[in-house]
Amino acid sequence: MGALNQAIVIFGKEWRLLLRNPHGLAVLFLMPGIFLLVMSFALKNTLTSEDIALPQTGWVIEEQSPLAANWSNDWIERKGGVRFASRKSLLDALRARQVQAGVIVQDHWVDAKGTPRIERIELWLSNRIQPASAGRLRAEVTASMLQLQLKGRVAAAGPFGSMLLDDASRADVFAALGPMTIRYLYEIESGRKMTAVQQSVPAWLIFGMYFVVIPLTGVLIQERNDGTLARLSTFGVSPFAILGGKLLAFMALNWVQLLLMLWVGRWLVPLLGGDALYLDLQFTWFLLMVFATSASAVGLALLIGAYTRSFDHAAALGGGANVVLAALAGIMVPRPLMPAAMQTVSEWSPMGWALDGMQAVFLGAPDASQIVPKAALLLLFACACLLIAWHPIRHLDRFA
Amino acid sequence: MTPVVLAAEAVRYRYPQQTSLALEDVNLSLRRGEILGLLGPNGSGKSTLINLLNGLREPQAGSVRRIGNPHLRVAWVPQEYAYYPQLTCRENLHFFASLLAVSPQERATRMDQVVKACVLDEFLDKQLRHCSGGVRRRVNIAIGLLQAPDVLLLDEPTVGVDPQTRVFLLEQVRQLARQGAAIVYATHYMDEAMAVCNDILILDHGRVVASGDLATLLKGTAGAGPFANLEALFMHYTRRLLRD
Repeated sequence: MGALNQAIVIFGKEWRLLLRNPHGLAVLFLMPGIFLLVMSFALKNTLTSEDIALPQTGWVIEEQSPLAANWSNDWIERKGGVRFASRKSLLDALRARQVQAGVIVQDHWVDAKGTPRIERIELWLSNRIQPASAGRLRAEVTASMLQLQLKGRVAAAGPFGSMLLDDASRADVFAALGPMTIRYLYEIESGRKMTAVQQSVPAWLIFGMYFVVIPLTGVLIQERNDGTLARLSTFGVSPFAILGGKLLAFMALNWVQLLLMLWVGRWLVPLLGGDALYLDLQFTWFLLMVFATSASAVGLALLIGAYTRSFDHAAALGGGANVVLAALAGIMVPRPLMPAAMQTVSEWSPMGWALDGMQAVFLGAPDASQIVPKAALLLLFACACLLIAWHPIRHLDRFA
Repeated sequence: MTPVVLAAEAVRYRYPQQTSLALEDVNLSLRRGEILGLLGPNGSGKSTLINLLNGLREPQAGSVRRIGNPHLRVAWVPQEYAYYPQLTCRENLHFFASLLAVSPQERATRMDQVVKACVLDEFLDKQLRHCSGGVRRRVNIAIGLLQAPDVLLLDEPTVGVDPQTRVFLLEQVRQLARQGAAIVYATHYMDEAMAVCNDILILDHGRVVASGDLATLLKGTAGAGPFANLEALFMHYTRRLLRD
């Protein structure tokens, strides 16, 4: 019997074994599906270009000048907020989660020339405040301080200076007329709004695909320890057929995982109140990226399975490696939340290459320059893993 | 006397990174219809010799020759349950049968034959992890028989089975020999070897310390024997020292 036919027989056996392995199926399907659901909702306000609300803010005015009193009164009247008598009462309110942030106007906020100074402002933040919300408060406090400083200069400029004041409100100098439009590249290219689910599906799909390491190594180690690999050799099965059959079976499994993740993103997340995944992707690039990612995931799993001696060893090494790779690649913590140095690091791991290519497919209109290098790196990685895995597997006799 | 079908001549084997030889100048010949009892303490080289006979390993000196038929079918039944316990008996048999280079009809015929021979009908659709040790042993042997072997290498085939299964398996071994198969039967159970084997080969520290037909060996030589039974013979040649 030819090696290809043997590989097909082994393919069928691997699928039967998978269907009899509820824990393996849970790791492969349930875990990434749940991660996708949770992260699509958890990052809903973070991975979006929509306006983020100002946090509920408490004010403590330690500065005695009328300017400080007027400024804080004006802010609270226009944007909301609560005044506190002391730092301690603001702290208590933050601990009790009555407010999410505090602005403390320190003594000597106004300098000798009557100009308010930003360095005499303290911003206190709740441990749970969303970074985007804190960022907005910081930006608005800075902008408001700038207005105060400008108005001070206008007042000092005499009668003609008041011409610079906005006619309608007489409150702001060169007042902005409305909120600015913020658009991600994806939104510009696709005409749709950025959503967490659009970013989460490729990330958690990749994560789930790499977890083939758990069922694959489980079977391979069982076969080796029970002498089944050696027995297969006495049936004339070549190492090539064994490796090929497993590669085909688990790559096919990755495609089933893909379908599940697309279903969760497209139908389940909106059913629970989230945004729907858009699926009008460029098909060729999409297929290439899934194929390359799958090859790298199964290649790595075969490598780990070939060199580990017990299932505990393989599960710790494979599971641990996946979590570390996912953290590095920006799957656990989305790249937009990483500092620039970490973003650079994240581009140099297999999951990082997969994420780059997949997000280019899911978040826009990719061209060859965005996809082909990443797919090539993944396929090279897969080949390297298979070559190294081949060394112990080709000596089936050693497992007797 | 039936013809020799498989012979090992002056075979020598050393495992990588080992200083001592696992097998040294071992000779044996197997004839059709013969059951050779392969005896020896733990670590004596029995499994290594079986792996040389089944082609999993190559001797570093000497040779293992298939005589008269280069396509001689040699099947190996390892001591471990070398199959997939998550699959049913039928699925396991079907999987291993599908790997053979035979027609679908021949495959089906062989499956029917081994199911009958090992009395597996009522367990066909049961996952093997839920079956008793006796059924698992029978399936282990059935998978070997799928190859319709001319030579069958059995490595401790009765470990962990009840007396009924043991009696059944021994009878099956005799039956296979009557049908013309040459059988190597590696075991630690002297009563089993006495019951089924015509010839005996005792290994110790990788060397053959006694070999020949059972009756002659029991009569002893000028320096030793006669022996009351095979155990006495075995202990005489291998001593009482405990092994690793």
